[in-house]
Amino acid sequence: MTDTTASALVARRQEVSQRLTRWAIPTVFAVLVAVAAATTSDFLTFDNLRGVLINTAVTGIAAVGMTTITLSGNLFSLGAGQSAMLASILFMWVASTGGSLVLGVLLALAVLVAIGLLQSLAVAAGLNPVVTTIAAGALIYGAVAGITGGAVVSAPTSAVGELAAFDLLGIPLPVWVFAAFTGAVWLFVERTASGRRLLLVGSNRETAVMSGISVRAATAWAFAITSIGLAIAGVFSASQLGQVTANNLSELTVDAVAAVLVGGTAVSGGEGSAVRSAVGALVIVVLQNVLLLHGLPTGVRILTEGILLVAVISVLHMARRKAMR
Amino acid sequence: MSAHTSLRLQVEGVSKRYGAVQALSEVGLEVRPGEVMALLGENGAGKSTVVKVLSGLVRPDSGTVHMDGRPVDLSTSGASQAAGIAVVQQEYSTVGALSVAENLLLGQRGARLWWNRGFLTRNADHLLERVGLGHLDSRTPVEELSVAEMQLLEIARVLARSATLMILDEPTAALSQAEAGRVLSTVRSLAEQGTSIMYITHRLEEVFAVSDRVTIFRNGRSSAPEETATLDTAQIVRRMLGRELGDMFPEPGPVDDKAPVRLAITGLTAPGVEAPVDLSVQRGQIIGLTGQLGSGGSALLKALAGFLPALSGRVELEGEPVEFASRRGGIAAGVAYCSPDRKRDGIFDGLSIEKNLSSPWLDRVSRFGILSRRDERTAAARSASSFALDTRRLGSSVGTLSGGNQQKVAVGKWLGCDPRVLLVDEPTRGVDVGARAEIYKQLRSLADDGMAVVVCSSDTNEIFGLCDVIGTFHRGVLTSLAPKEHWTEETLVREVMHSGNAQSETSSEVGSP
Repeated sequence: MTDTTASALVARRQEVSQRLTRWAIPTVFAVLVAVAAATTSDFLTFDNLRGVLINTAVTGIAAVGMTTITLSGNLFSLGAGQSAMLASILFMWVASTGGSLVLGVLLALAVLVAIGLLQSLAVAAGLNPVVTTIAAGALIYGAVAGITGGAVVSAPTSAVGELAAFDLLGIPLPVWVFAAFTGAVWLFVERTASGRRLLLVGSNRETAVMSGISVRAATAWAFAITSIGLAIAGVFSASQLGQVTANNLSELTVDAVAAVLVGGTAVSGGEGSAVRSAVGALVIVVLQNVLLLHGLPTGVRILTEGILLVAVISVLHMARRKAMR
Repeated sequence: MSAHTSLRLQVEGVSKRYGAVQALSEVGLEVRPGEVMALLGENGAGKSTVVKVLSGLVRPDSGTVHMDGRPVDLSTSGASQAAGIAVVQQEYSTVGALSVAENLLLGQRGARLWWNRGFLTRNADHLLERVGLGHLDSRTPVEELSVAEMQLLEIARVLARSATLMILDEPTAALSQAEAGRVLSTVRSLAEQGTSIMYITHRLEEVFAVSDRVTIFRNGRSSAPEETATLDTAQIVRRMLGRELGDMFPEPGPVDDKAPVRLAITGLTAPGVEAPVDLSVQRGQIIGLTGQLGSGGSALLKALAGFLPALSGRVELEGEPVEFASRRGGIAAGVAYCSPDRKRDGIFDGLSIEKNLSSPWLDRVSRFGILSRRDERTAAARSASSFALDTRRLGSSVGTLSGGNQQKVAVGKWLGCDPRVLLVDEPTRGVDVGARAEIYKQLRSLADDGMAVVVCSSDTNEIFGLCDVIGTFHRGVLTSLAPKEHWTEETLVREVMHSGNAQSETSSEVGSP
């Protein structure tokens, strides 16, 4: 009896906007693919699609991991590129000294998670996440550039390259890992108590504290998962390139943030998903691919990407505001 | 119609449909010059849609609006303002860092391009006088004002636009009774100066204090206006609900002096609780604490919840001393706490009812950290149904619910962890009459089940109706504590108001130390 017209009305509006936020990106994706298939003969070839997936994997893994920071209400890690670069360097360094690839991967994971947890302590204590992660990125870059002296770190390509080139059913390992990591992060948020708490802290920090949820633990989980993603991204990138410098992966931060935003995860936290960010990353790469196949110059490609980003974010933002009022 | 000329506002046959939802059907409404018209109705009955139509935010499907006999165009909010309609919102739109005088000039139509201090002050003093803030220095930054003063300033800002019809949407929702009195007397004096006022409130006693006539909304329809003086509370409630409410407050259980003590507090002080408090809650009892806003009841509840550190004293739960230095410690000890501001820290606005309800007890429905969605749903449904929440709507987001249902979620989420003590601050703020009765009933049945319930409220009517033992706070001191039989509603109000007067007298005489 108490729920009458107005709340039913709001509920209806919210439903519409939920549908919009949920289906906007898959729709954009489908349209892009359809346009690409119709206007270019090369797009739907196995090699091109495989290339698209390989190109998405590194950014996608970073974006999927970073989604947890956004969901927890801590915006983004703006030191993502530098962290992944550090993972690349560590992996390559172990490989160049003759250590096993597994050891390199484990070292990259351990160091990045440790750095991530340190950042999470600062952020949970109330430091602005943007400032904290930019600072961390600068420190990492400075340290790496200082130690390597800007030199190229490389290892015998054949050994290092195996990781990125390892092929299963015609699809290389990074793509499989991208899919698996997306699934794992999604499961973590949806099906574990820690993941749910992360979401609750992002939705309303004050209410979470009042409900006895530890902001510090939730933030630590978010930064740890993001760091795992960045370590994997860094390792694959190093493996693909065969050599690394401190200036590698400098665009990863912006690309990963763009993928999270295009995917439609709320910047304010508490709403979104890893799967959406994965699709967001795919949309960006497919768009770039289509423009490339049409032979458009780099400037136009970046401009178009920017326009897509602005359009998607505006539409989602307006849909959310409509839902609230 | 000839009646047009003698009416400030006449709304006829206004309908508005959103999809399948008929928000307003053939609504009629009138306000005379210099009249206070109270608008009543449960949440969702159509009041806010009418306000939106009048303020130019919603375009009706049909119907006409006349101001002083002339048809007016209300297609935009600018047009509505130009027609002389002004809405005082629940949310304050003042800028904290600016002075009172500067805030009064913000958004004023036809304001000068540049101002000097003299003009600012003249402009401000006149307006402040009219809303009963004449004592205020117009150079004071707004962030230093009390909540009641901010509300009055909000009214002054609207006056600055020389409105002839002022719509006040629950202006006293965040105020204590004494502070609300200031707003009410300002409303009366504005009406006497000729402004027509449309007054929306959930507090029925305000209707009798301030309004000339009453219009009641139910299911998108409006009643014909009635003289307030010819009505009583029961009649109003019946018209709002379309049924008898029965008694607003549930019958307390039988008095049992030998019932075991659940919660015993001895010599407790905390930030905001200046003098040591001794208090014990027996099984099945509801303790009520009242006083003006910030007088200490809220602080005591916070300290008990583990949210503010207790400075000294002992707290015993069923005879065992407990010490909780954090909110999590409080929860582990079985203390549930609902803050007075559910939007801020009581609910997760954007998440579903289910996720809100399960938030404090996720561990109970997970194994090795893995959530069991089925267990979560079952437990959430149990909590929801015991609070009269529709279990089929567990998936809808809490932000879409009415204030009453949001409050049920904010309180109901604690049931899942079987708390031994339930602390509720302002249990029915911004909650409509129907949901209020349900919340009271629920609190009573939780007490009957053996939970120790402590309620803090600035609404003395609520405290008097609901509680078994009543205490009053004044300036951080528990000034009285007695079983309900020792109080009448009048003595309780007097106790709260009187200490309020004493406070302002002493502070003006002594000045700041």
